[in-house]
Amino acid sequence: MITPDMLPSLAFYGFAFILVVSALGVITAKNPVYSVLLLILAFFNAAGLFVLLGAEFVAMILVIVYVGAVAVLFLFVVMMLDVDFKSLRKGAMHYVPLGVLLGGVLLIELFVLFKARFGTEVFPQADTLPEISNTQQIGAVLYTDYIFAFQVAGLILLVAMIGAIVLTHRTRPNVRRQNVAKQNATTQEDAMEIQQVETGKGI
Amino acid sequence: MDYIAVFTPLVTFLFVGLFGKSIGDKASQFITCAGIIVSAVCSVMLFNDVILHANSRILFLSSWIDVGTFSVEWSLRIDQLTVVMMNVITIVSACVHVYSVGYMSHDKAKARFMAYLSLFTFAMLMLVTSDNLLQLFFGWEGVGLASYLLIGFWNHKESANAASMKAFIVNRVGDFGLALGIMAIFMIFGSVNFSTIFENVQAHTGDVIKFLGHEFHALTVIGLLLFIGAMGKSAQLGLHTWLPDAMEGPTPVSALIHAATMVTAGVFLVARFSPLYEYAPDALMVVTLVGGTTALIAATIAMTQFDIKRVIAYSTMSQLGYMFFALGVSAYGAAMFHLMTHAFFKALLFLGAGSVIHAMSDEQDMRNMGGLWTKIPVTYCLMWIGGLALAGIPLFAGYYSKDMILESAYADHTWFGEYAFWAGIAAAFMTAFYTWRLMILTFHGKSRAPIEVQKKIHESPKIMLFPLMVLAMGAVFSGAYFYDGFVGEGRTHFWESSLHVLPENDTIENAHHVPEWVKSLPLVMGVSGIALAYVFYLFFPVLPSIFRKIFMPFHLLFYRKWFFDEIYNVFFVKTARGLGKLFWKRGDKALIDGLGPDGLSSLSHRIGRRLGQMQTGFIYHYAFVMVVSVVGLLSWVFLRTNGGIL
Amino acid sequence: MNNMLTLTALQPLWAELFMAMMVMGFLIFGVFKGDQSTRLLTFLGILGLFFVSVLLMNAPLGKEPLLGGMLVQDVFGRNVKLILVVALAVSYMLSLKYLYDTGFVKFEFPILILLAGLGMFLMVSAHHLLSFYMALELQSLSLYILAAFHRNSAKSAEAGIKYFILGALSSGLILFGISLLYGFTGVLDYTQLGQIIAELEGIEKTGVVFGMMFLMAGLAFKISAVPFHMWTPDVYEGASLPVTAFFALAPKLAALALLLRLLVGPFEALVTDWQMVIMFLSVMSMVWAAFAGLVQKNLKRLMAYSSIGNMGYALLGVVMLTTEGVTATFFYLMLYLIMVAGVFAVMLCMQRDGVVFKQIEDLAGLSKNHPKLAYAMALLMFSMSGIPPLSGFFGKMIVFQEVVAQEMYVLALVGVLTSVVAAYYYLRIIKVMFFDAPDMPYSKGFGVFRNGVIIVSVLFAVFYVLRPDALLPFARTTATDLLTPPAIIQTHDIQLDN
Repeated sequence: MITPDMLPSLAFYGFAFILVVSALGVITAKNPVYSVLLLILAFFNAAGLFVLLGAEFVAMILVIVYVGAVAVLFLFVVMMLDVDFKSLRKGAMHYVPLGVLLGGVLLIELFVLFKARFGTEVFPQADTLPEISNTQQIGAVLYTDYIFAFQVAGLILLVAMIGAIVLTHRTRPNVRRQNVAKQNATTQEDAMEIQQVETGKGI
Repeated sequence: MDYIAVFTPLVTFLFVGLFGKSIGDKASQFITCAGIIVSAVCSVMLFNDVILHANSRILFLSSWIDVGTFSVEWSLRIDQLTVVMMNVITIVSACVHVYSVGYMSHDKAKARFMAYLSLFTFAMLMLVTSDNLLQLFFGWEGVGLASYLLIGFWNHKESANAASMKAFIVNRVGDFGLALGIMAIFMIFGSVNFSTIFENVQAHTGDVIKFLGHEFHALTVIGLLLFIGAMGKSAQLGLHTWLPDAMEGPTPVSALIHAATMVTAGVFLVARFSPLYEYAPDALMVVTLVGGTTALIAATIAMTQFDIKRVIAYSTMSQLGYMFFALGVSAYGAAMFHLMTHAFFKALLFLGAGSVIHAMSDEQDMRNMGGLWTKIPVTYCLMWIGGLALAGIPLFAGYYSKDMILESAYADHTWFGEYAFWAGIAAAFMTAFYTWRLMILTFHGKSRAPIEVQKKIHESPKIMLFPLMVLAMGAVFSGAYFYDGFVGEGRTHFWESSLHVLPENDTIENAHHVPEWVKSLPLVMGVSGIALAYVFYLFFPVLPSIFRKIFMPFHLLFYRKWFFDEIYNVFFVKTARGLGKLFWKRGDKALIDGLGPDGLSSLSHRIGRRLGQMQTGFIYHYAFVMVVSVVGLLSWVFLRTNGGIL
Repeated sequence: MNNMLTLTALQPLWAELFMAMMVMGFLIFGVFKGDQSTRLLTFLGILGLFFVSVLLMNAPLGKEPLLGGMLVQDVFGRNVKLILVVALAVSYMLSLKYLYDTGFVKFEFPILILLAGLGMFLMVSAHHLLSFYMALELQSLSLYILAAFHRNSAKSAEAGIKYFILGALSSGLILFGISLLYGFTGVLDYTQLGQIIAELEGIEKTGVVFGMMFLMAGLAFKISAVPFHMWTPDVYEGASLPVTAFFALAPKLAALALLLRLLVGPFEALVTDWQMVIMFLSVMSMVWAAFAGLVQKNLKRLMAYSSIGNMGYALLGVVMLTTEGVTATFFYLMLYLIMVAGVFAVMLCMQRDGVVFKQIEDLAGLSKNHPKLAYAMALLMFSMSGIPPLSGFFGKMIVFQEVVAQEMYVLALVGVLTSVVAAYYYLRIIKVMFFDAPDMPYSKGFGVFRNGVIIVSVLFAVFYVLRPDALLPFARTTATDLLTPPAIIQTHDIQLDN
């Protein structure tokens, strides 16, 4: 019988299962558009896991940033660039058996490790303060205890921005641009010319 | 002042060496000469300060090596011994610099020559001012290098190249001894610093060095090893063969390096280590024996040579022998005294000979000279002064120092002192003889030179004669003037602690109380030597050939320099070449090359290519290698720590 | 509140703050003035770096963590940063003329170098796994962009992509390691981490060791130790030359400092575990670089292998965590960096009409066309191969001395043998320069900065023998401070408070 206190566990296994399956789908799907869509699915399920942990702020951020921005951008790129993924993947298939072996070894090792460490305990619970939402909690420490990390994150974004501009921005000679100052400085005389048109002649 | 004295030559060397071509010959000559004269003036001022006002000091420049217990500094040890050497070096060097301006006037690479001279002077100053063995070794090798460069200066001459290599290689043997000596000193004393060594000598008198199961008295071993180094530089019997050949270099070089300064480095080294040698009587005995024998044998060779420079070169070797046996009988002051006077009159003789050679259009064989005294009277007079000083005629410098040495040897009252004394007396006679043989063959009689050479004979320019006069002043007055300070009553005040003599070994004191005949014998020998030379070469010129016939074997022995070169050639050069060939053919070609270039190195190349192939350029290969490595590392750790779990 | 962020409270970090300010200022200036302000920005950058070093020299130092435990400004960090400042300044000097010669002038270049430098500074000071990772990413991201900076060249773009993807992989490894560490200990701060790890036993310890392994693998990528080095030759070759010079000079030192702080701090209790790994990385790097370097034809690739191998030698000193060992490491790196600066300056001089030559064969006959350049290069190569009495010899000597003193004879033997093999490829360059038939001469006019760097580097290599212990005290204070356990300092402070 399903009791209400089993619901979190059920939800966890549900989210986790779909997450793993869709992640596998991302790398096996033949059509890249499917891959991206499966990736979005994986993000949603990860967000679900965060909600289960009581970290609804992180969950929402994940949805907004990764699904709303990153994955959609991926989708655009995949659709706009006509990349032949099949030929790219050709050589890599040789390595699948070895990759599986390595992954398996790593998995076993980590599994033994986790098993011995956590035993039957399912998940450590985050310390939650019941009075305030975790958005407020993050806000309380982000600009005080973690001001440094926050600022460096800002710098990293700055670097990313500079990088994007440096590596992609090109000045093209024949592109027309809006020049606000020039527009504002335009007078009536520059823009308009009144001509007296004689009847029957045209200009 | 100390720094100016020592480092000016370095500055001028660097400047002229680097910019000599762009500033021109005149400027180069001027700069080097000015530099060395400044240095000489400073040295004289130092003499006043350090010796007359007893103000010796050690100037710390900077630390050099500081590894664990081994620490070496760059520093200048300005004490009495150093200052005497500095004066000799800088004054003679200044004369030679100026003289070279005239002598090398026909040469193409004047700037280079002057730069080398300055380099040599700096290295020599470094040698005498050093406060530790490593810095001394630096200077020691520096003068060796400069000597090599200068002997082979006329590098278009095959013989000059051969001679410079010979000098370098023979000196290596001595340097090896010196290096071993330095290591032995570090082993025993745990330091290469002079002060530390000298203060602790008494504590180590009983030490032994174990080698091949035998125990050797440590101080004696050190003394002998250092003496081997000194023998190489100072051309003592056995390691002397390079010196005569070194005459291939320009004559100013011979005067500076191979008469006045570098060759006396060995004497200086032993004198510097007088505190150590005093406790190693066996080493001193060897020094005496080698010195006495060298004095004798070199003099015999000098009597038979015809090349004017070689005669003087063997004479130098003989005089160095005097200095060494003076050291050997603990008469360090006398040795240093002779070193100084000898530097003046021998440089004078060399430069005078250079002046003769210059006049004779580069002729060096005395058989082709003669009758020059009317044509180059100034040189003739100056050579007379040098000759009188060398022969030990009273009032001239050599008389005081040589007599002192012989008296000290007699006053030592040991069998080897006695031996050195008689060897020295015999050598004194021969010295006077070969000196006047040189004078007469060169300046008197009828000219034997070809007509065209005779026409060109001319007195040297003033710039060459002036330095000669300065040196002549030294050759005349330095003996009488400094007698009291170097070896007389004032010597304890003069040397202070820079020379160390045990009271029971104070031969100089004893030398003042030897019988009258001992004091007059050298003079008698000198005068009779001169007289004999007149008889043989001026009055009865047939006599030499008669004697030559009667004493055929002896003459041959002397003339061929006791066959040293031939013996070395057979024993060392040929065997070394044979061994070299063997190793080259069998060892290098077959073994090393077989395994090396053709084996190991091609194997390396193959490995390299294989590794290079792994660098495919594909990202996923690289990523794969990384992942494999991570998993490998993890599994390794996992199995190591948790082998039991699985 | 006592953790208010006043400017005075931040005094230890003024240097870093100033650098961040410089970045902002430069950016605004550059945006308004355009690409032609690059020259001015570079000069300002050198000036600013000088000011940074002044701030560093005056920074109050101590082991107390700053900014909520994120950073620490101690003698070790200060000294490493001083070296980094010099490396950054040299990179500026080497890059300027090249940018103008090749006509690829962009004002972002000095800014990115400065940003990477700021990242390195923070890496060196990181005292918390969070700041550690943020700083590392700040530096890495700047480096990726720099690698691809010459975007018109396919090679440069390829280098950037490769570096970026593999770097992302290494970041992933590091993050996974951090999450393992956090999972097993529940803390991220170095001090707390060290205290907890010291008490762990059994399987929990293995978990932490796993985390550490991931972390070390990621960092091994950053210092390009074999087998995590595969990116190095490709990136060195693809990136434009001043960028390669910058890569060779600065980032590895920062990453090594970061690794060292981790190893002696939180992972001190795991010394037996990481020691083997470091030894493995070191031996692999020395051997691999020596052999793979033999067959290289491209000068930049050769320098890549050279830097891999030299990192192997430097790691030798870390294997035994003694003061002398770490001293040897820093000493070695300092001497190496000075030589490398000279080598790259020489390489930058070898261009014809704005095209830099990269193949070793292009050096042929350099001795005829540019004898001074050839002799400088020859001396540097002799020094790199460790021939006495040049400076490179002393670096190797000190390292091997320490390895032998720790009785690790096999390591010493491997080191000596590989340095013999590596000497071959250094000497080959000399052979090509002096004995091969000359090619066309290079363009004249090497620029003041380049000449200056070459002269300083060569003079240093030649005359180092006069003061062979000159940099040792600096390296020794660096190492001593690194190995001083913070606990002692803390108790000392408490006593003061009482």
